[in-house]
Amino acid sequence: MKEKTTIRYFILIYWTFFEALTVIDKIIPDVYPYWVGADFYTLFVKLFASLGITNPIFATIALAGISSIEIVVLVCYIFSLSNLNKGKHKSSEQWFYRGVSFSVLLFSLFSIGDQVFGERSNLLEHGIFLIMLIVSWVIFKYNAQTEERVIKFSFSKDIKIAFLAGTFLTLLTSYSILDFSKSTFSNKSQPVKGVEVVQGVYKFDFPFLGDKFVFENTIKAFEENNPGLKVDYIYTAPDELNSKKKTHILLYVFTEQKN
Amino acid sequence: MKNENLVSNNRIIGKEIIRYLILIYWSLYWLLNSLDKIIGGSHFLFVGKDRFAQVERFFDSLGLGNPIFANVALIIAAGLEIFAFVFFSGALYHLKKKNIDSSRSWFFAGIVLTLTIFTYFSIGDQIFGHHGELLEHAIYWFMAILSWIIFIYIDKIQIFDNFSIKKKQILIATALTMILISVATVSIFWHNHTSFIERTQAVNTVKIDDNKYKIEFPFLAGSKAFENSIAKFKKDNPTLKINYIYTAPTTLRLGFSDGLIIYIQTDNKK
Repeated sequence: MKEKTTIRYFILIYWTFFEALTVIDKIIPDVYPYWVGADFYTLFVKLFASLGITNPIFATIALAGISSIEIVVLVCYIFSLSNLNKGKHKSSEQWFYRGVSFSVLLFSLFSIGDQVFGERSNLLEHGIFLIMLIVSWVIFKYNAQTEERVIKFSFSKDIKIAFLAGTFLTLLTSYSILDFSKSTFSNKSQPVKGVEVVQGVYKFDFPFLGDKFVFENTIKAFEENNPGLKVDYIYTAPDELNSKKKTHILLYVFTEQKN
Repeated sequence: MKNENLVSNNRIIGKEIIRYLILIYWSLYWLLNSLDKIIGGSHFLFVGKDRFAQVERFFDSLGLGNPIFANVALIIAAGLEIFAFVFFSGALYHLKKKNIDSSRSWFFAGIVLTLTIFTYFSIGDQIFGHHGELLEHAIYWFMAILSWIIFIYIDKIQIFDNFSIKKKQILIATALTMILISVATVSIFWHNHTSFIERTQAVNTVKIDDNKYKIEFPFLAGSKAFENSIAKFKKDNPTLKINYIYTAPTTLRLGFSDGLIIYIQTDNKK
């Protein structure tokens, strides 16, 4: 295994997948079976509306323009990866450089947009991706200028021990994952039991698997088990009251006696 | 001649420390990630993260509610993580034995597995539409590549000429450190002594209108403080019925100086 070529492959594979999935996310604009993705159209429409530009044509044009640059970047990465695979290192480097240049342009445009729209967290995200790209290119280009190192793993004693230990631990972990899955999967549908913490106020500590169906089943079961009570109000405890990572969601149900 | 040797040794020690720290970081990182999967769920002295619930919900959002998908995805991730841990530990062992070349090879295998894991996670993040996690995994991917670069090129970086510190500097640094540690420790213990009660203590309500009350919780307040506050409010106002609780969003709070604020809407009991 050639050390530096392998790193080049990893850099290219990562960024190719990154762009490929970003492009697919634009082609599949909504939630479908086997694909959730992010709804960039809605995001763009809302961002432009915040500027006072409510006509969706502006958001559509911006999104189409960005997608076009992303497709150009993807094509550059695919060509770079293909050339690297054929051993054409110089050509691969050139295509990667083209891809990185377009991608840096794209993240610069995003960053300008983030500042205009006042999206500071997105600005940080795009800034991080931009610097990651530039450093990836520096590593891709300059690391290859030093001497290549070939790693040969023979089945020596230490490697055998590593494989045995790794396999044993993987089997142990797999057993644990399957066991945990089997024992907790019922939390996905099972109603949660409430505890009366104040007279007429019940607390429900939802497990991590608890979703909207668990909530519906919980309220239904609570009403069935407490026919004399009427649910007045349900309060979702905010994060400040639920700072421990142990609990998924805390609900308080306020009740009163039926007349 | 003696001094030159000393300087040279110090340089080696400095660079080896960086290599040790990189290896210790990644070994512990994957060890604890693997342990999190072995333990599963929250227990006494280990909370961790319920990965099964997280991954199962992700697959469910794709329409793949059968737990087998989450199980297989988790087992693949766990296998890669465990082998990454094993290879980083092997690199650490070889570094300890001064087999720098072997250490580099084992470290490289660990890095290849780490990059594979974060590429695998990043693909998932985009499919599941979780861009917060995508950024997190991209940063780890980047950290892994940089760790490898630093590990192999550390010999070319000028670090320290030596680690020796003059006696006067040691005395001043020690005295300053001790004073600051004492001040910080006393402050922390005093805050604990005076404020820990806020974790569960009921908070008084402030009437802001005929049927509206405000409760401003301290930062330490947990669910018990909320429950005790509601109990106290009900006890103090037996004729009132709570209709609605409104949680003030962070945008209505004063910067970071306000904790949780709730407004209680009430009605007279019939």
